[in-house]
Amino acid sequence: MATVTQRMPETTDGGTAAVVVKGVRKVFGTGETAVEALRGVDIVVPKGEFLAVMGPSGSGKSTLLHLVGGLDRPTEGTIEVGGQDLASLSDDELTLLRRRRIGFVFQFFNLLPILSAAENVALPLMVDGVREKQAFERAAASLERVGIAGRSAHRPTELSGGEQQRVAIARALVAEPVLILADEPTGNLDSAAGEQVLDLLRNVVDEGAQTVLMVTHDPRGAATADRMIMLKDGRVAEDHELGRAASLAEVLSHLEELEG
Amino acid sequence: MSVKHAFLGLLAEGPLHGYELKLSFEERLLPSSPLNYGQVYGSLERLERDGLVEHEVIVQEERPDKKVYRITAAGLGELDRWLRNPSVPALDLRNETFLKLAVARRLGDIDTAEVLASERRGSLRRLREVTEARRQAGAEGKGVQLLLLLDLAAFRLEAFLKWLERCEELFDQEATTNGNGNAEDA
Ligand SMILES: Nc1ncnc2c1ncn2[C@@H]1O[C@H](COP(=O)(O)OP(=O)(O)OP(=O)(O)O)[C@@H](O)[C@H]1O
Ligand SMILES: [Mg+2]
Repeated sequence: MATVTQRMPETTDGGTAAVVVKGVRKVFGTGETAVEALRGVDIVVPKGEFLAVMGPSGSGKSTLLHLVGGLDRPTEGTIEVGGQDLASLSDDELTLLRRRRIGFVFQFFNLLPILSAAENVALPLMVDGVREKQAFERAAASLERVGIAGRSAHRPTELSGGEQQRVAIARALVAEPVLILADEPTGNLDSAAGEQVLDLLRNVVDEGAQTVLMVTHDPRGAATADRMIMLKDGRVAEDHELGRAASLAEVLSHLEELEG
Repeated sequence: MSVKHAFLGLLAEGPLHGYELKLSFEERLLPSSPLNYGQVYGSLERLERDGLVEHEVIVQEERPDKKVYRITAAGLGELDRWLRNPSVPALDLRNETFLKLAVARRLGDIDTAEVLASERRGSLRRLREVTEARRQAGAEGKGVQLLLLLDLAAFRLEAFLKWLERCEELFDQEATTNGNGNAEDA
């Protein structure tokens, strides 16, 4: 019984929600070439939830993630992260929020090639004014957490894709953000490396009580989450609570029903 | 799945009686598939009829006599043949979801998108369970055989979920080319 922890989802009012998306529309461009990427999206992500976002290509998944991460602003509607309305923040305040409260993980890792793993992870802290020694200590702890402490001195090109993605996760976690945003974090990995990344994100939620919002095309990725929403043409088309898993013995006892 | 051949495999390791065969099958081979006594004794009868196994009656005091089965030379040959030849891949095409979609399309009073959404929810919840069980089994250091069985379940569910996505794509495409009002647009 080591790994299955019972986690009661908190209620989804403002105080316990990590993210609230309300009536959000996003239009790129103007006039004839305008693209309506999001057409009225409402989502509440409770604190400590692992939410997967699926949907066909072009359905607005990355756009949604960017808006929640404060990388871009909606055309209409409001977005709250940790109870803060992003529209009320200046660009500088938004930058601070991104640095301290949100961690990003991307499909192509986005590591700086000339820096070592440890430097990549420590960098955002130093940019935020943390002293070098402390930043490297925290970076080391974060690399340890994702299981690649032994690779700290390596540059990205000297690491496998799976290892690079774990460095990216260490970087996303180092500031101890309340929210992790991941855009197809396993999209560029084989299934074994992808599973390690999913396990890590799952642990982040189970142990750190952090909230994860992850875009994925992979059903196995979605099945690691607590809930899956499906975007279609810029709208939420489906919303599925996936629940907590039963024990291994229980699952085994009714595995055969799969063949229905 | 051939219970008969699995039994030949277990008997190739040494003689067993019926109940031991059932237990060995469930413990060593397929923990997800308990056998009922009908399957156990039915399989043994057929194996014996075909000359692939034979039995010897052991008389026991105070308990019913038991039959101990052993594999014959013909049985070893059949086991070898089974192991070396490809199985017919089970495609599970008598698929319940497929039937629901086919019926829904004919009746038209329930949207196929709704059927797909509910099927997706069911399969995803199942995959969620299997994924978590797989994580648990891995963390507890369970043997590779159990891990692979759970992987087989997971890969199947994954493939099925991908097929549901394909259904949606093709239904959408069909609705667009037919220009009917199936695709909602505000
Ligand atoms: N910066 C931009 N300028 C113009 N159009 C954009 C921009 N970003 C996204 N779009 C458009 O918005 C729509 C949604 O794009 P988005 O990247 O959110 O899709 P997605 O669901 O992430 O797709 P994929 O699965 O392919 O990554 C698309 O039609 C896309 O072309
Ligand atoms: Mg995208």
